[in-house]
Amino acid sequence: MNFRSECRKIKRTGFLPAFIAGGFLAGAVPVLNMLFRSANYIKPDVNPVEVLFMANWQTMALLNILLVLEGACILYHTEYTDNAMQRMRTLPFNESGLFINKFLLVLMMCTILVAIEAAAIGFCCEHWFGGTVIHGAAGYMHICIEILESLGYSLLLVLPAALLSLFIASICKNMWVSLGIGVLCIFTATMLPADNFVLSLFPFAMPFQILAGTAPDTVYNFITACIAEIIIILLAEMLFLKARRSFE
Amino acid sequence: MNIIETSNLTKSYAGFFAVTELCLHIPKGKVYGFLGPNGAGKSTVMKMLLGLTRPTKGSFVIDGKRYPESRIEILKEIGSFIEAPSFYGNLTGKENLEIVQSILGLPASAVDEAMELTGITQYKDRPARKYSLGMKQRLGLASALLGRPPVLILDEPTNGLDPVGIHEIRTLVRSLPQKFDCTVLVSSHLLSEIELMADNIGILNHGHLLFEGTLNELRQMAALRGYPYDNLEDTFLAIINDDNMQRSGIK
Amino acid sequence: MNFLSLVCVEFKKIRRSKIILIMFIAAVILWIPSIVNARLNFKMDDVGISPENNYMIQGFLGMAWFMFPASMIVGIVLLNQTERGNRGIIKMLSLPVSTVKLCLAKFTVLLSLAAFQVLILTIMYYASAAITSRIQDYNFILPPLFVFKEAGLFFLAAIPMIAVFWLLSVFIQTPVFSIGTGFASIVPSVLMINTKIWFAYPMSYPLFIITYEYGKLADNMEASQPKLIPWIPVAAGITFVCIIISCLCFGQAERK
Repeated sequence: MNFRSECRKIKRTGFLPAFIAGGFLAGAVPVLNMLFRSANYIKPDVNPVEVLFMANWQTMALLNILLVLEGACILYHTEYTDNAMQRMRTLPFNESGLFINKFLLVLMMCTILVAIEAAAIGFCCEHWFGGTVIHGAAGYMHICIEILESLGYSLLLVLPAALLSLFIASICKNMWVSLGIGVLCIFTATMLPADNFVLSLFPFAMPFQILAGTAPDTVYNFITACIAEIIIILLAEMLFLKARRSFE
Repeated sequence: MNIIETSNLTKSYAGFFAVTELCLHIPKGKVYGFLGPNGAGKSTVMKMLLGLTRPTKGSFVIDGKRYPESRIEILKEIGSFIEAPSFYGNLTGKENLEIVQSILGLPASAVDEAMELTGITQYKDRPARKYSLGMKQRLGLASALLGRPPVLILDEPTNGLDPVGIHEIRTLVRSLPQKFDCTVLVSSHLLSEIELMADNIGILNHGHLLFEGTLNELRQMAALRGYPYDNLEDTFLAIINDDNMQRSGIK
Repeated sequence: MNFLSLVCVEFKKIRRSKIILIMFIAAVILWIPSIVNARLNFKMDDVGISPENNYMIQGFLGMAWFMFPASMIVGIVLLNQTERGNRGIIKMLSLPVSTVKLCLAKFTVLLSLAAFQVLILTIMYYASAAITSRIQDYNFILPPLFVFKEAGLFFLAAIPMIAVFWLLSVFIQTPVFSIGTGFASIVPSVLMINTKIWFAYPMSYPLFIITYEYGKLADNMEASQPKLIPWIPVAAGITFVCIIISCLCFGQAERK
């Protein structure tokens, strides 16, 4: 199964425009927030990236997760609605390849999403903190690196949620069921207390984490847990596909 | 030489036997007509041959490869079309075929050839969900024919087509063994249709194989057992009726 | 065909469609984190709210901010899918029923579903409060009159929001986009309630009302009294316009 044909399958599904529009919507959050309430945030001696993340990331992350969930549902919806899945399963390749390629596709879209958000945050830093809080080329360089690091971290932490969404979507033939389960999971994630480390490892809760202002130890723990979750969900999908094949 | 052989193939769902101890012998380079009333288990057998359903018992060999060990190898040799046509509604007919083509690693010309054969070339740029039932059926057939597979499994390929379409598809199926040097397993619940396409036939009822052989052998068998044999439709009905009577007698 | 029997027909159509199940599950799941985190209710000294009030209002806040709008969006799309999925709408349009009536009947069903979910929410509140009272050895159960008043306000405030969602689903035929737009419109409501023009954004009404009630119950929080004068006319206007437009446009796409 090649990646190119996966890309071809998403034509006219609204998958691509949804991610682009979602990216701009999420990017608009910090810009609008600064536009209306910049007085609350601009103070001397603050870390602009940390301030911007603290103020906006919860909303942006929620948009990201909803988008990832919907993307995952669309990807499997096209497989199941007109029975294309059956044709796919009569072709000589492993079904797990289909899953991996869909994951790569979501990963690619998430990267674009995060890039748009990075640009928005970068713009906010430059426009509202430039000259007052950030000084000189070195200061800008430092901010750029910080933004890239933060969003790289966010990109990594959104992956377990993306995989779990795809996993759910691949199990349920009816898109509405997978969407419903996903929405319930996201809701549960927003209700979990943020100070509990174990509970915040729930894949749908992880994307709400922020790099700026977090202790390096905690960051390290989250990264380890994130990679472990990625491996576990991938294994679970392989097992599930195997089991489904032997029960049908 | 038989290209497909099944031995004691059985599929049961919670006490209900969809297919019982089926032993099929499908000779290479022929059109094999698979005949039976609705719900006889034709689709189940075809799904098992494609690995879509796991047999409860028994195994089969396709072109010397045994299931389940060489599932992927087997799939490489089969072009298939099962039940309702399966496709991506958001993609055009051509794009649907291109996806299958790239998975099978075929040259781009294979798509044009398949579209030409099934007569969908002029509709290739229309989204598949806007196709009429007949067009969807043709699209499914085109995707089965892609890359000239040595074995073709077609489940009621003429369903939903108009008389002209039925005739075209029949002629196409009939010509495939010579054209592509392939073997065709085609199912139908109409004997009149199978009669025009197939060299060999197998009759299935309630998951049991009632007859397997050439059309002439069917006539001989009918004459021997006292079934009507001048009209094959009547022969088929008599065989099925007789079997149903015996079955209800057992119960 | 009179309106009432049309509504009955519409109710029949959602049989076995899992809409009610989804709404039920959403209202049940909502209270599970509340039971698990019940201890937090005793740490609200800085806000100055009693544990039992906090328990109820936090659950209602969760419902108003995310769960209720989300399940309404999914429910509305499912409701439309029952028509569009197997082209049932074509059959309906070929029958001697006016589309305006049909649309209104569907909207009635939708409102009943919303009322049903709020009712389940309230019942589940009592169930979970009883469980929490047992676990924490503290009486979390509030008088029914008060809780039903809150639930009633919540439902009334949600009507304009439902009308907007309904309009979106009539206009946006692709379910994926209809859901996406809906979700995207929920997220900003948390930002909107802090602005002066919150009343122009129907998606924030339920959250605003519950936040206001929260403020009233908490001693140390300012409850910004909603100004009824721009709000009620604006809300009524939005609801009315949404219903009229959706009635006029309902089924038009299928008639082209």
